[in-house]
Amino acid sequence: MTCEIKEKDRVGTINPIFTCQPAGAQFVSIGVKDCIGLVHGGQGCVMFVRLIFSQHYKESFELASSSLHEDGAVFGACGRVEEGVDVLLARYPDVKVIPIITTCSTEVIGDDVDGVIRKLNDGLLKEKYADREVHLIAIHTPSFVGSMISGYDVAVRDFVKYFATPTEPNGKINLITGWVNPGDVKALKHLLKEMDVDATVLFEIESFDSPLMPDGNAISHGGTTIDDLRSTANAFGTIALNRYEGAKAAEWLQEEYKIPAVIGPTPIGIRNTDSFLQNLKKMTGKPIPPSLVRERAVALDALTDVTHMFLAEKKVAIYGNPDLVIGLAEFCIDLEMKPVLLLLGDDNVRYKNDPRLLAMKENVDWDMEVVTNADFWDLEDRIKNKGLELDLILGHSKGRFVAIDNNIPMVRVGFPTYDRAGMYRYPVVGYEGATWLAEQMANALFTDMEYKKNKEWILNVW
Amino acid sequence: MPYHEFEVSKVIPERKQHAVMKGAGEDLTSCLPLGYLNTIPGSISERGCAYCGAKHVIGTPMKDVIHISHGPVGCTYDTWQTKRYISDNDNFQLKYTFATDVKEKHIVFGAEKLLKQNIVEAFKAFPDTKRMTIYQTCATALIGDDIDAIAQEVMEEMPGTDIFVCNSPGFAGPSQSGGHHKINIAWINQKVGTLEPEITSDYVINYVGEYNIQGDQEVMTDYFKRMGIQVLSTFTGNGSYDDLRGMHRAHLNVLECARSAEYICDELRERYGIPRLDIDGFGFKPLADSLRKIGLFFGIEERAEAIIQEEIARWQPELDWYKERLRGKKVCLWPGGSKLWHWAHAIQEEMGVKVVSVYTKFGHQGDMEKGVSRCGEGALAIDDPNELEGLEALDMLKPDVIFTGKRPGEMAKKVNVPYLNAHAYHNGPYKGFEGWVRFARDIYNAIHSPIHKLSLIDISKDEIDAGKGFQTRRMISDEGLPEEIRKSTELREYTGKYDSVSALREKTYPEFPRAEAGTEAVAE
Amino acid sequence: MANHKIKNMAERKYQKVYTSNPVADADPLTKERIAVLEHYIMKNCLWQFNSRGWDRRKQNAGILGKTAQLLCGEPVDVSVPLEKCYWVDAVMLERAYRKLCPWLADLSKDDIKALMQLLNARMDWLTIDGSLNQELTVVNY
Repeated sequence: MTCEIKEKDRVGTINPIFTCQPAGAQFVSIGVKDCIGLVHGGQGCVMFVRLIFSQHYKESFELASSSLHEDGAVFGACGRVEEGVDVLLARYPDVKVIPIITTCSTEVIGDDVDGVIRKLNDGLLKEKYADREVHLIAIHTPSFVGSMISGYDVAVRDFVKYFATPTEPNGKINLITGWVNPGDVKALKHLLKEMDVDATVLFEIESFDSPLMPDGNAISHGGTTIDDLRSTANAFGTIALNRYEGAKAAEWLQEEYKIPAVIGPTPIGIRNTDSFLQNLKKMTGKPIPPSLVRERAVALDALTDVTHMFLAEKKVAIYGNPDLVIGLAEFCIDLEMKPVLLLLGDDNVRYKNDPRLLAMKENVDWDMEVVTNADFWDLEDRIKNKGLELDLILGHSKGRFVAIDNNIPMVRVGFPTYDRAGMYRYPVVGYEGATWLAEQMANALFTDMEYKKNKEWILNVW
Repeated sequence: MPYHEFEVSKVIPERKQHAVMKGAGEDLTSCLPLGYLNTIPGSISERGCAYCGAKHVIGTPMKDVIHISHGPVGCTYDTWQTKRYISDNDNFQLKYTFATDVKEKHIVFGAEKLLKQNIVEAFKAFPDTKRMTIYQTCATALIGDDIDAIAQEVMEEMPGTDIFVCNSPGFAGPSQSGGHHKINIAWINQKVGTLEPEITSDYVINYVGEYNIQGDQEVMTDYFKRMGIQVLSTFTGNGSYDDLRGMHRAHLNVLECARSAEYICDELRERYGIPRLDIDGFGFKPLADSLRKIGLFFGIEERAEAIIQEEIARWQPELDWYKERLRGKKVCLWPGGSKLWHWAHAIQEEMGVKVVSVYTKFGHQGDMEKGVSRCGEGALAIDDPNELEGLEALDMLKPDVIFTGKRPGEMAKKVNVPYLNAHAYHNGPYKGFEGWVRFARDIYNAIHSPIHKLSLIDISKDEIDAGKGFQTRRMISDEGLPEEIRKSTELREYTGKYDSVSALREKTYPEFPRAEAGTEAVAE
Repeated sequence: MANHKIKNMAERKYQKVYTSNPVADADPLTKERIAVLEHYIMKNCLWQFNSRGWDRRKQNAGILGKTAQLLCGEPVDVSVPLEKCYWVDAVMLERAYRKLCPWLADLSKDDIKALMQLLNARMDWLTIDGSLNQELTVVNY
C-alpha cells in the first residue's frame, strides 16, 4: 500500500489536461473592470480562449489580439502592439487597463514588450490620450513554460505588482481566490459576510453569471477595480486560497509591503473550510459566529446521509487544477473514499514537495498514484490496459470520453465544464460546496447503479 | 460604392471599405467589400489562426489518423472538442489529440528529437493506427524544426506507417484561411497519387470541402450510394487518410465548401484533368440541382431524379409547415465562410426569411461575391467583423435570429437575439432534404421560443397577463396566420428522429452492374 | 509531383477584354432579357465564381457557349471530362432558361446566339474585368 508521486513516463501529450500560460493570464484579465487584455501573438491564442470561456460560462468576454501575421513573425511585431493599444483605446472609451500578454511566438521572436510600453507611455498616451487614465501592464506568459495555472499565477502577481500602492491601512484583507467559478466567489463572500470580514476579493467574478436583461446587457465583465488593486498594499493580510494560483501575488505583497500572507488551504470540504475560517479569525480577530456553526452542521447532516452508506471505499480518480485536485482528494478521504489517481497537468517541480501530497504519501493505506505533467492517456491507459478500477471520476469536461467510453460515472468539476448545464453557478468551496460536491457524487453513483442495474433497488428504502 | 461606415469604427478609417450595403441597381462591379487582408490589431476581430485552419478545420476531420501538433500544449488543447465533425469509427478524431509538448529547453536546443520520440510513443499507444498527420505551430516554425525530415526518418524506420506534414504556423496568413490553403497544397503535393485505390463503380467522385458536421457527409454519401456512385474519398469529413491518397483516380470532384477546399480541386483539375463541379448540399432546389448535375455527368440522371422525387414527397410538407411560420423573419447570416453563400438565397426562397446581413470571419472577396449576389437589396455585408461592429449591426438591424458561432452567439443572446450555431449546428445535420427541415425546425424553435418572449418583458413596466400559465410555440407562431394554413392537413411539423444519421451506417445499397468489366464510362 | 504540368503563366496574367459594361448600350428589351438571365445565374449558380480570372473566363465561355448550343438545338462537345462538366452546368441552365423565359422559343438561332454572347460578355464584365475582387489576378491557386 503506497502513494507514489511521479512524473508521466512519456514525453508527449495525448489529450492535454491544461492549456497554456496565456489562457491563464487572459482569465485574470477578464476579472478586472474596464480592462481588455491584448494578447500579443497569433489570433488563435485569443479566439480559442474566448471560445472556451464562452463554452464554460455561456457568456462572451472581450479580449483582443495583436494579430501576428507572417511579416510580424519575420521582422518583429512591436508595431502591432502599438497599433492594437491605440485601436482599443480609441474604440473603448471606458477601458483603463490593457495587459499585454505575450505568447510563445512573440517570446521566441523576442519582441520587447516592456520597451513598447515605455514607448507608448512616453508617446501615444501623452499625445493622444493625455486626459485619460490608462495602464499598460506587461505580462510575460510564453506558452512553452508552465501552463494555464502558472499563467494565472504570474498574471495575478503582475496586476498586483503594477497597482499596489501603500497609503492608509484600509481595514480589509485581500482574498485571492484562484481559478474559481462565480458560485465559489458567492460562497466565499457569504463566509466573509458571516465572519463580518471586509475583504478585497481578487478577482470579483460573481458577475460572470450575468443576466439577460429586457433592455439588453451585452458583455460580462469582472468587477475588480483599479482601486481594489491599488489598495491591496493597504490590507492587513492576504489569504491566497491556492498555492499555485495566486500565491505569487500574496508572497510579493508580503515581501514588498510586509502584508502578512497565508497561503491555503483551498477551502474544499469541511476540514479545509474550518481551516479557512480559522485563518480568517486569526488574521482579523473576529470570532466564528453561531450562524456558521449551524451552516457547518447542516452540511455535516447532509454528508452523514451519504458518506458511510454510499461513498465509503469508492475509488476515485481526480484531474485538473492542482489545488482543486488536492482539495478534492482531501475531502474525498474525509468522506471515506479512496482517491487512487491524481493527475496534475503540468510539470511544476513544486508538486512533489507539496505538504498536502506528502501527507497523503505518509498516511494513505491504499495504492495511490499522483502523476505530474500528466495527460488523459495516463488515466485512460491505466483503465484500459493496466487494470485500474474506478468507481468515479472527478474532473473537467475535456476528459468526458474517458468516463463515457469506460462506463465510469463522472462528476464535472473545475474548468472547463461545458458538457453539463450551469456548473459555474455552484460552489465547490465552503460548507455549501462540500454539500453540493458530496451530493453530486452520490447522485452520479445512483444514476450509474440504475443504468447498470447494479443494486439499484437499494435506493427503494433510503 | 455603397460602403457602410460603422459609428464605432470611424476611428479606424480603413474599416470603411470592409462593409457594404447593397442598394438598388448595385452589382459586383460597384458593391464588394475588401477581404482577406491583415487584421487590424486590437479591433477584437473574430478571426482564428492559420494553424487552426489547417489542423482543426481540415486535418482533424480525417478519422483514422493520429493528429499531432508540434508545439506547446495550448494549440492542441484549444483545437480539441470544439467542433462537431463526427465519424463512423466511433469518433476517434474527436476523442484523441496529440501534442509534442514543447517546453523552454526545446525552444533553446531544438525540438526535433522530442518530435521523433512523440511519433514513436503515439504509434505505440495506438498500435492499430498507422497513419499520422503532424502540424507545425508558431513556436516550432520560428525555431526552424525540420518536421519533414523527421517524418521521413520515422517512415523509413517504421515500415507500414505513413506520415503527412503540414507546415502552417498560426501566423501564416490573415486568418484560418491561410491554413486551409497550406494544407490543401501540402496534401496534393505530398500524398495524392501515392496509393492506387480500388475502383468499384463506373462512377467515381471525390467529395471535397465537406466536414461531416453532425453527419452531413453521411447524409450526402447516402444519396451518392443510392445512385451507385463510388465516393472514392471525402476531403475530409469522415474521410480516410488512405482514400485521400487515391484522389487522383476520381472522375469528378464534387466541391461543397469552395472556401476551404477549392485549391485542391483546382490543382486536381490542372494536374490530373479531373473536373471541378461546385454544388450546394443545403436547400431543396440547390441540392436537387446538385444531384441532377452529378447524375447528368455520369449519364444516370434518372437515378438522381428518383431520389429527388422520393425525398421531396417525404419532406416538402414539413419544410413548408415551417416556411409558413418563418415568413418575413429577419436573419443575420454571420458564419465563417461558405455558409454565407450556401444559405443566403436558399433560406430566403425556401423558408421565407429575409437575410438582412451577411458576414464572413475568414472569407475572401470571392466568398463575398457569392454572398452579396445571393442576398437581396439592403443587406449589410461585413468582412472580418469585430465585436463593436457586430453589436452596432444588431442594434440597427434588429434581427429575429442570428446564425453564427458559439461565442458571438452568446453576445447576441445578451441583446435578446436568439442564435443558432452556423458552424456546428444546433440539432443537425442540416445537409440533405431532411437536414434542411431540421434547420427550419431549429430556426422555428429559436424564434418562437416562449422563453425568448419572456426575456423581452420588463416586469417593472410592462403589463403582465397574470392569468396565463404557459404559451406554446404555436400560440406564438400561428398568431395572424390564415385559417387554411393553421388548419392545413397537408403541412406538418418535422417527424424525423433525434438522431437521423446513425441508421444510415447500417444501410445496404442496391448493386448496380458495371458497364463492362475493366472499362470506365467516362473517357479519361 | 510527376503529373504536374507546367502552368501557363502568360495565360494567368490575362488581359482585360472589357473596359466597360458591354450591356450598357443595348436596347431596353435586350437589357431586360440579359438581366433576367444574369439574375438566375447569380442567385443559383456557382460556376462563375472560380477563384481566378483566367478560370472564370474559361468557365463563362465554356458553360454559356454550351448553353447557347443547347438552346439552339446544336450538338455539344462532351468528349473530355472538362467539357462534359461544362455541359452539365449548361444543361441545368438551359432548362432553367426555357422555363423562366418563354420568349426564348420565339427567338431565332442567331438571336439566341447574339443574346448569349452578350450574356457571356456581361458575365465576363461582372465577374472578371469589372470585378472589384483583387484576388482574380493571383497567379497560383
